[in-house]
Formats: sequence, structure tokens, C-alpha cells
Amino acid sequence: MSDTVPMPPIKRYTGVMDWLTTVDHKKIGLMYFWFVVFSALIGGAMAGAIRVQLAMPGATVEAMQAAALNGTTALSLFSDANGMFGDRHLYNQMVTMHASMMIFFVLIPGFIGFANYIVPLMIGARDMAFPKLNAFGFWLLVPAAVLQLGSFFVVGGAAASGWTAYPPLSLKAASAGPGQDMWILGVHLVGVSSILAAINFIVTIVSLRAPGMIWSKLPLFAWATFFVAIIQLIATPVLAAAVTMVLMDRNFGTTFTIASQGGDPVLYQHIFWFYSHPAVYIMILPGFGAISHVIAAFSHKKIFGYLGMVIATGIISFIGFLVWAHHMFTVGMPTWLQAFFMYGSLVIAVPTGIKVFSWLATMWGGTIRFTVAMKFAAGFISMFVFGGFGGLLLALTPIDMSMHDSYFVVGHFHMAMVGGSVMLLFAMTYYWWPKMTGHMLCEKQGNWIFWLMLVGVLMAFMTMHLTGALGMARRVPVYFKDFLVLNHITTVGYALTFISSVWFVIDLIRSYGRPKVTENDPWHVNDVQQSFEWATTCPPPVYNFEQVPPIPVADQMGKH
Amino acid sequence: MLRPLIALLMLCAAVSTAAESPVVPAAEQVDRYVALFNQDLLALDDKRRVVTPITGAFDAPASDIARDVAQATWFSLLVFLPFLVLPQVLLIWIIWKYRKRQDGRAPATFTGNHRLEIVWTAIPVVALIIVGIPMWDLLYKMEAPPADQRRDMVVEVRGKTYAWDYKYQRLGGDVPTTRGDQFEVGQDVVGMQEPIVLVKDRRVIMNLTANDVNHAWWVPAFGVKKDTIKGRYTNVWFTPEKLGFFKGQCAELCGQGHGIMLISALVVDEADFAVWTETQRHRADTARVWSALSGTTVDAKALEDAVGAYLLKGSSPWRLFSLRYWIASNAASLARKPGELKGEALKQAMLARRVQVEALINRLTGPTTATN
Repeated sequence: MSDTVPMPPIKRYTGVMDWLTTVDHKKIGLMYFWFVVFSALIGGAMAGAIRVQLAMPGATVEAMQAAALNGTTALSLFSDANGMFGDRHLYNQMVTMHASMMIFFVLIPGFIGFANYIVPLMIGARDMAFPKLNAFGFWLLVPAAVLQLGSFFVVGGAAASGWTAYPPLSLKAASAGPGQDMWILGVHLVGVSSILAAINFIVTIVSLRAPGMIWSKLPLFAWATFFVAIIQLIATPVLAAAVTMVLMDRNFGTTFTIASQGGDPVLYQHIFWFYSHPAVYIMILPGFGAISHVIAAFSHKKIFGYLGMVIATGIISFIGFLVWAHHMFTVGMPTWLQAFFMYGSLVIAVPTGIKVFSWLATMWGGTIRFTVAMKFAAGFISMFVFGGFGGLLLALTPIDMSMHDSYFVVGHFHMAMVGGSVMLLFAMTYYWWPKMTGHMLCEKQGNWIFWLMLVGVLMAFMTMHLTGALGMARRVPVYFKDFLVLNHITTVGYALTFISSVWFVIDLIRSYGRPKVTENDPWHVNDVQQSFEWATTCPPPVYNFEQVPPIPVADQMGKH
Repeated sequence: MLRPLIALLMLCAAVSTAAESPVVPAAEQVDRYVALFNQDLLALDDKRRVVTPITGAFDAPASDIARDVAQATWFSLLVFLPFLVLPQVLLIWIIWKYRKRQDGRAPATFTGNHRLEIVWTAIPVVALIIVGIPMWDLLYKMEAPPADQRRDMVVEVRGKTYAWDYKYQRLGGDVPTTRGDQFEVGQDVVGMQEPIVLVKDRRVIMNLTANDVNHAWWVPAFGVKKDTIKGRYTNVWFTPEKLGFFKGQCAELCGQGHGIMLISALVVDEADFAVWTETQRHRADTARVWSALSGTTVDAKALEDAVGAYLLKGSSPWRLFSLRYWIASNAASLARKPGELKGEALKQAMLARRVQVEALINRLTGPTTATN
């Protein structure tokens, strides 16, 4: 036996330096969380700018025309004539950056953050498989956000070609400023961050499950994260390819998307949506998994149809790759191809339906505690069914020819993303916040937050469906007077949603001042289930578990 | 042997076309046509109020396609409605029925039910099939080119930041294609964009393309929308079924002016359409006359020269009518715009100038017109 070499002293930081240098999945998860809160407030404020413009008296075509004829100017936030706040170009920047913030810096990292915190706990691991990679993935988001938000302050302003950045609009001729390039580079960084997280999750879930945690015992949130990680790993490089084509066309003289030199702008759209359709599942599927736990916990039951849930998630993830062109039915495709994408999109309704019915069946016969987390879960089911219903109509190509790029689409995906994903994130926060911080959120205020949010979402986004079906186009700063009342209702709905969100953030901050949770399992989840994250302290110690928690004898379907 | 026969047939065709050619409207009807065609009058009335509300494909379909689409939508809504209502009702009912009460009831322990799961997988599949089958037909009707296009109007639609050009490649109907009917409308105007004029019950085939960035042509009432993309042509077709003025907005983000890239379409009957095409043919020639007329004062010599030049190029009844039409139309547009002369003063001045032109026409076209 040779002499033992003494371990080199490891420098431990405290305070801010600790957070800056941490590789602990829990701290990184919390940093994701607060980063997302910050981005969501900025993105939400941008939505506010959009809504205020659309609530202005000068936002109607007729008011604008009348003002031009009278030789006066119509009152408006963004307009060529007398914008208090800049011109319509800035409006397009708001539209673009609202979407970019919400997609790249809120919904995608929002679920990644939760998965970071919860999934290792759920599977009984001490940390993620690659802790340093994990930290790197998070910290990449910061320069990405700086690039994208900072582009507001460069010549020409931020990207203004929509978050879809379709060429030729995103090429030099139409968007000359460096804002578009900064947007692209930001997307690259987000993409790398996303891919690193995906690799980490796949390896963690495959190889770091506690002994005895076989696949059929794996919690649904871990399953959903696993599938989503696969989607991210496959799809995200494709997004990078798409925006790189634009970057090259803009700066290095290539002609991937320039029609007059042999390129094809539609090629970009196909490649872009090959990522961006699966991306909508990245933005909601993890929540699907998580909400099963919330519903089961507060119904005092086990999850209904576990196997069906797993298979449905898998099928959604797979078919999600085959339906991208339903975002571009009006682009002029062969008829048979449109038919393929129409029927493919319809098929997704089936596994989604299985999930909705399984959630209802999970609640059936339980003893339901209608806590705030449960309220958000129920609100999510209700809103998501609305959103999905709109999706069914949009999948039908002949109808989509009228609905495409109208406010119906805006209403549809906001219903799915705010009524769906954001409600999911709220439910997950109320459910897991005591585990993550050791503090409870206020149930009484939570009720107000929930009902405000629900009414706001209904007012804002149900109305949008109608506005779009009647003929209002997307991404317009002025609209026909006929849509005036509907737009005002939407704006009020937005205000309620935003107030509710800000209130929520205030309660998050205030919760740190409340007394610590003493129990491991404040919701009494493990009375019925055996979920690892509730088998350790709130918050868990650095090493998560003092010993490997007892593996459930029965799998999730009740088989021994 | 064959050749004289063909010549004879062609002669017959020519004669029949000539016989059917529309009657030139009387000079007094000019104002009626201005009210019908001038987009500035169609946008806002004298009091700056909206003249025509925007209509959608679902509330007021105005073409065969829109009618089909509206029907398909109501049908799909009806089939899908249970899948919207049932979960909502169930959700509320379950939350109420199974709420936690202090009655010591133990929660159920089941974790699955294969029969139930098969049922709620199969029933949506059936619903999707019920909706999916008629969609196939409608999709092919909308997307596969119509078989017989001989009577169709063909228009090239060109999106450009931030306006539309319409090039009439073939007027369709009974007008033979050999007349080489290619003329363009479209210019940047304050107010509504210049309308595309269509004929009720005559199918129009649109070939859409763009000059710069992508746009999308969408008049909701017609139930069609297509992107216009530089470097390719996309196509739509539909048959307008209602007379009137229809509005829309560009439906693909195209830059700063995206929101004000309006679209307007006017559906008229055959006779009015013929008048419109004729006035469009001579439109460019009238520009010089109008520029002599449109100032605050009129130089009589310049006006006489301009009218003379116009008449020298041709003085057919259609040309005379077109001149009157464009002067009246431009005057009507001018009356709507801010300028030195306004309101009643402008109207009176313009009426006087129209009389002046009328006198010039009578003098220059000589005794033939005078005797009429």
C-alpha cells in the first residue's frame, strides 16, 4: 500500500461567489428559476407595450386615415407620425423580442430549471451527471440574453423580423442593423445551452437512477424530461443551422435563402419549423409530466394510466417531428404534402386527449384538496383544452388558410402557452417551492393570483380567437375599427394577467421571510405515493440524500 | 381548303365579340362610376366614418371557397365540440364531487382501466376520421388547379413594401384571350390601397409573387390566403359571389408598414367591370390633363394642349368617357386630401374645371360630337 496523497484543499466560496461558482443542481435550478422570472417580467412588459399600442385611439386604420385627411395625427404609441415612443419599427422589435424572451428565456429554461432541481431528486441521484456542464449551460443564457436585449441599444435597434426571422425580411436589405445578427448569435448560445442540458438530462436519467429505480418506476416528470431532452438534442442543432444560413447570407455573401441567386427563402422556413414545432413540445411536455404529480398528490391518489401517459408522451414527441409544415400551409406546397401535414397534426390530438382524460381519471374518486397548486393544475387542464381545440381547427388546412397569421393563431398559442405552460409553471412553483427553498407560498394570496390569472387569460386569449376569425391579421400595429372593442377586452385581460404575475413574483420574494418548513413532505404526497423528492429535507442537503431512500416495491402501474 | 374556313370562323368570332362589347356609359354617369370605383370614397365617407366594415370568411362568406370553408368550419366545430365541453364539465364536476370533506371517505386506489383507455383513444380517432374525410375534398378543391380555366380571369398579384400591384393577364369571360389583356393597377395611395376589381360569379385565378420580402394576400371574406414570395409563384382561385367592397390586411410580417399594407377588393357585375377595364386602359394618358387641372389655378393654354394631345391619340367614345371619369375621380380623391383648396370651395372649383374640359372636348372633337 503506497502512501496516500493528501487531497488538495478545495476552495469553498460563500455568498455571491458561491452562487457564481456553484455546480450544485439545486442552486443551478434556482438560478434558472430567478433568471426566468426576470426574463418573464421583461417579456411581459414588452407584451404590455404591444397591448398599449393596440389600445390607443390611433391604432385603427380608419383613425389613421382620417387623421391623414384632416392633416392631424392620430394618438398612438408607435407610429410614423407622432409615436410618443418611436415608430412602427420599434413595434416590430417589441413583437419580435416579446416572443424571443418568452420562448428562449422563459418557457424553455423554465422547465429546464425545474427539471434541474427536481429530476435528480426524483430518481435518487446526488446531482446531474455532468455538474460543470450544467452550470455552463445555465451561464450561457446570460450572454445570450445580453446579446438579445442589448440589441435594443445598437444602431437600428433589435431584430424586427419576428421571432421566426423569415428571410428576406431578416436579410441585410430589409434589416440592415446589427440587431438581427445579435439576435442570431443569442439564439446560437441558447441553442448550445439547450443541447448541453439535453445531454445532461439524458445521461442523468439513463445512468444515475438509484439502484432499483427501474424504468417502470420512473416518475412521469422524469419521463417527460427524458423525452424532451431527446427532442432538444435532435431538433436544436437544426435551429442553429437555420439561423446560421441567415447569418451567412447577411454577412458572408452566401445565398442559401436569396431567390435571385439560386437560394430559396422557403427552405429556411422548412428548416426553422423542423425545430420550432418540436420546440412547442419542449415548452409544454415537461409540465405535462409534472402536473401528473401535482394532480395525484392533491387528489390523494396514484397516477391513472401511467403506461398510457408515458406512451402518449413518447408518441407526441415523435409525431411532433412530422408536422412542422402546418405552420406554413399558406406558403404554397404540393397538395398531397399539405394533406400529410394536416392528418399528421390531427393525429397529435389523440395522445394529447389520452393525457387529458388520464388527468381527469386521476382526480376521479380522490379526496381533492383544492390548494393553489391544484387550482393552477385544474386551470391548466381547462385552458389547455381550449388551446388544443383551437389547434384542431388550425390543423385543418382549408380552415387554416383563413386562420393562418391571424389573431386566431395568436389566441391559440397563447392559450396553450400562457393558459397551458405558464399555468403549469405556476402550479409547479406552488407545489415544489417548499421543497426548493424551504418556504411556503401564501395560499390566500395564491387564490387571488390564480383567479386573476384565469380571468385575464380567458379575457385576453379567448377574445383573440374571435378577433382572428373575424379577420384581424397578426403582428399589426393598426387594425380595422371593427376590431376595436375586442382589442380593448384583450388589453384588459393582459393587464389582469400581468398584475397577477407581478403579485406572484412579490409573493415569491416575500416567502423567503416566512418560517422554514420543518417537514420533509408538507403536502403529504408520500401518504399515497413514494416520491423521492419528498423523502429528504426542505430544501435538500447538498448531497440530496443521507441514504438511498427505499425504492417502492410496486411500479407505477401497481405491479409488484 | 381549311384555311378559308378558319378565317371565316375567326371573322364570326370577331363579329360576335363586337356585338357583345359593352355600351359606353353616358357622360352623366361619370359620378356614379366614381362612387363605385374610387377607393378613397370607399374607405371613409365625407364625415370620416367607415363606409364598409370588414367581413370575414365565417360570418359573411363572399366566395365559393369561403362558403365551403365556413361550412367545413361549422361542421368540424360541431364534431369537435364534445371534446371541448366534456373535459370542462367533467373537470368542474369532479372537483366538486370529490372535494375533500370531513366525512372520512378514503380516496379510490385504482391506477388504470384498459377498457376505458381504449375507449378514449378510439372515440377521438373516429371524430378525426369524420372530420378528416370531407377535408380531403375541400383541400383538393382549394389547392389543385381547376380543370377548365377558359372563362377564368387571371391576375398576377405582386406584393411590394407596402402595397399591391395587380396585373390583369387575362380578363376571362367572353373576352377572347388574344386581345392581350395585360394592364396593371396599383400604386401607393394615402387611404385604401387601390382595389383589385373582380367580377361576380367569374372565377379568378391569382398568381402571387413578391418584389422584395414575403407578404401574404388575404381578404378574409374570400376565404383564401397565400404568401407572396420573391422568386416563386403561388396560386389561389375563388369565385366571388357577392357584390361589394371587401377589405383585408397583409398577413405576413413585412416590415414597418406591415400594418398599413391594406388590401381592398371590389366585386362588380360584368357591365361595370367592362367600364372599369376601359377606364384603366386610358388612365395613363389622362395624367397630363389632370396635372394641368389640379393646381390652384388653371393655365388655359396648358389645359388645351393637354386635352388636345389626349384626343389626338384617339377620340373614341371610351376615351372620352375615360377622360371624364379620371378627372372626376381624381377630383373626388383630391377633395379628401388636405390641401390649399378644401371642402365646398374645392368642389365648386372642380365642377367649373370639369365644365371647362367638357367645352374643350366639344370644341376639339368637332362637329360630330357637337351634333350629338
